[in-house]
Amino acid sequence: MPRLNWLLFIGYSVVALAVFIGALLSPVFRGLAYAPLRELILPPPAPIVISLLYSTEKEAWLEEAIAAFEQTRPTVGGRPIAIELSAMGSREIYLAVLDGDAQPTLISPASSLQISILQDLSTARFGAPLVNPADTTNCRPVLNTPLVLVAWRERAEVLWGAGPGPAVWQQLHDALIDPAGWEQYGHPEWGYVKFGHTDPLKSNSGFMTILLLSYSYFNKTSGLEASEILADQGYQQWFIELESTISEFGESTGTYMRDIVAYGPSRYDIVAVYEATAIEQADNALGRYGELRLYYPPATVMSDHPFCVLNAAWVTPDQGTAARLLIDYLTDQPAQELALLKYGFRPINPAVALEQTGSPFARFGANGLQADLPPLVEVPPGGVLNTLLDFWSRTVPRR
Amino acid sequence: MHRRTFQAVSLWLAIALALAGCGLGEQLLGKTVVVSIVYGSEKREWLEPLAAAYNAAGHETADGERIEVQITAMGSIEAVNAIIAGTLQPTVWSPASSIYIPVANAEWQQSHADDLVTGSPKDLVLSPVVVAMWKPMAEALGWPAKALGWADIAALATDTAGWSGYGYPEWGSFKFGHTHPGYSNSGVAAILAETYAGLDKQRGLTLADLNNPAVREFVAAVESGIIHYGTSTGFFAERMFARGPSYLSAAVMYENLVVAQESKRLSGASAQLPVVAIYPQEGTFWSNHPYAVLNAPWVTAAQRAGAEDFQAFLLDTPQQLKAIELGFRPADPAIPLTAPLDAQHGVDVQQPQTVLEVPPADVIQGIQALWLEVKKPVDLVAVIDVSGSMEGDKITAARASLVQFVNLLDGRDQLQVIAFNDTVTTLTPLSPLAEKREDVARRVSGIIEDGGTALYDAVAQAYAELEANGDPDHIRAIVVLSDGVDQDSSSTLDELIRAIGSTGEESGRAIKVFTIAFGEDADPAVLKEIAEATGGQQYNSDPQNVSQIYGEIATFF
Repeated sequence: MPRLNWLLFIGYSVVALAVFIGALLSPVFRGLAYAPLRELILPPPAPIVISLLYSTEKEAWLEEAIAAFEQTRPTVGGRPIAIELSAMGSREIYLAVLDGDAQPTLISPASSLQISILQDLSTARFGAPLVNPADTTNCRPVLNTPLVLVAWRERAEVLWGAGPGPAVWQQLHDALIDPAGWEQYGHPEWGYVKFGHTDPLKSNSGFMTILLLSYSYFNKTSGLEASEILADQGYQQWFIELESTISEFGESTGTYMRDIVAYGPSRYDIVAVYEATAIEQADNALGRYGELRLYYPPATVMSDHPFCVLNAAWVTPDQGTAARLLIDYLTDQPAQELALLKYGFRPINPAVALEQTGSPFARFGANGLQADLPPLVEVPPGGVLNTLLDFWSRTVPRR
Repeated sequence: MHRRTFQAVSLWLAIALALAGCGLGEQLLGKTVVVSIVYGSEKREWLEPLAAAYNAAGHETADGERIEVQITAMGSIEAVNAIIAGTLQPTVWSPASSIYIPVANAEWQQSHADDLVTGSPKDLVLSPVVVAMWKPMAEALGWPAKALGWADIAALATDTAGWSGYGYPEWGSFKFGHTHPGYSNSGVAAILAETYAGLDKQRGLTLADLNNPAVREFVAAVESGIIHYGTSTGFFAERMFARGPSYLSAAVMYENLVVAQESKRLSGASAQLPVVAIYPQEGTFWSNHPYAVLNAPWVTAAQRAGAEDFQAFLLDTPQQLKAIELGFRPADPAIPLTAPLDAQHGVDVQQPQTVLEVPPADVIQGIQALWLEVKKPVDLVAVIDVSGSMEGDKITAARASLVQFVNLLDGRDQLQVIAFNDTVTTLTPLSPLAEKREDVARRVSGIIEDGGTALYDAVAQAYAELEANGDPDHIRAIVVLSDGVDQDSSSTLDELIRAIGSTGEESGRAIKVFTIAFGEDADPAVLKEIAEATGGQQYNSDPQNVSQIYGEIATFF
């Protein structure tokens, strides 16, 4: 049967050659080629490079999750995916995209506030939005963490009793602007009332804080309008009074939480931070100075870390596919569990239980951490948000 | 080739190879990036050994350059003034606190487009600004049951009855100290706190507030209790703890310095009374030791990388634990506050309960200016050796630096100048400087060297005249420069020491003698004995650095 052997040999050779030629032409065939020979003979396929601009709050989680994603050797059309990461402030992200300083495949600011602004501004500038939160295939939240207040329990209870009621921002406003400070509550030794939040122009948590302040003044949780910000003198006076008591607006939410723990009650009485930021320092705070506790305002807003593929000419279909694969991975169970157990974020994926063993939500209940959330305020249209930022920037004195 | 020549060449080759293989070769072939750091002297004990350990461990930047840190202790404000003047170009400035950063930025911006310190520098270690007081004195004021504040300190400093008002006449007057606000952070903290106390405010200081005559009066009154100023907080602490309660009743410093002294006392290395940290009830400031990699044109990318590597090292747990041992609170909140941060060491980590607001740059500058106008004046006798051995460089440098020194004094200060060789001559008697600044400069510039050295007689005469003519409510000091050994005095050293030595409860207010041993033939041991008998300080100097030494002495006034 030598003839048959010959035929088989020739047939096999032809197929092998075809695979190798095919692999040279397209990475799809590469996987079929004999691996040791393939690595020796064929040039490696060009990776699909996606670039991601992301906000710094999730840096540690993201780096860990992306390393795990790369371990799965994901491909699109046989080509591996390479991810270029750049950390930036949330506002810087949309400004860089709008001004053409960056052309990323994918962006992830700290919250939908920035997506809302980018949607409006890009429509105004280019005629079509670069991002569309309604298109959930390409743009969706990946992690959740609400804005909370962290305060020294002894002091907070003097201000609002067991927990903050609907009037919490009004109480805070009145306490802050009174020159008598804590003396009006019988505690002159605590000095003036010290509240801290980050610079809304540089950090999302500060932006979220001034949004909540504004909603609370108008006593509503949706439908904030630019005309209210620009024309209501009562609001303007109230808002500027409160903000003027803050002597320094920092850039990083994490620093506020670190400082309240490291310095103790002398530096801040109350800070507005993310729930996850508070959780990060919870162990450190125990038994250090007095009791530090987490409080939920009557209505809050979510830092929801949306990941959005840009609807831009520079994003190729393959890049879009690769970016969606990444989003799928990040919302899948392992990455979501990592975010909850190690970094204190609330999972988006309903399959991951919030109060499972090892979760901070199972550990820090006594410090005020709770699964139940107060109502969330509506994210206003980009134009309204921009008006608010602009108003803050024009009227609030800064050093 | 001759055999011997061959051997010699081989030997040289072997040596060259050996050198190339060890440190010198590395220096010559490998690249080293030098990271220079100027820092507030309060953290010297922590930083010095750590810098040495870091250098010995051979850290490298990501680009493979060996990092060498070079650290220099300097008064925080003195350092930034030199940086702005361009005479000091470090990679990193780590002052004792952030208080002065806005002022530094404002001054830097006068000649640059951007800030000198950008972003938010990380804290290295923490320590609140406190009033360190001898425990029995604090107890006499009602501490710890009664919380004390800046207002109590002010009341005590302005009360002519002093401690007798509290039932302790044997303690004499209340002797208070803080560093010079033109050189040191804790001095700035002290005068800001005095201003707040004078206005009964804790925040919202404005320039308009400074025009309030009551504030001016109040700050002047508190300053009247000051025994002298000084360039560094660490030095102040050293003085107070070495010389005891007759020298200083209380001084503004940092909590870590109290802990360090109490550790010494508890271990038997100091025989002083216990000392406690008073956390002023109106609020205080934090010394947070920010680590600022300067946004200056001379800082290279490699230096920045090296500086950041050293910062990470300092913030690492073992180094932060070391800081606690020395009395600092760690900047890393993951590290618990443990011993010696406890009552046994004179401190209470549950304090402070509140801070005073750091005012904007222009208000801080306004308060510094106000202080210059109301601070305690000095009655000073400058004594200068004009013996024949001063000829050449020495007399030229001495004349020039004495003129510079006089220029650092305020018009309200009173000055007498004495020149001595084998005789003692008064060039100008004690009188306000404002009336005679130019005349003094002319006379000092005209000094001619000749004759012998009657050092003891000159000091004795200066002391006697200052005691007779000086105002005891002013800081009274004598600054002596001498380049030789006494040969011509009618009195002996023992007689001089007996005449000028200060003991008893009022030693803090006594006349201080500062001595400069000038050149190699001076007698530093004798000059040291003279200075220390009075609570002053002795310095070694030469024609190259004498003006710097005079500058340092000027910070006491």
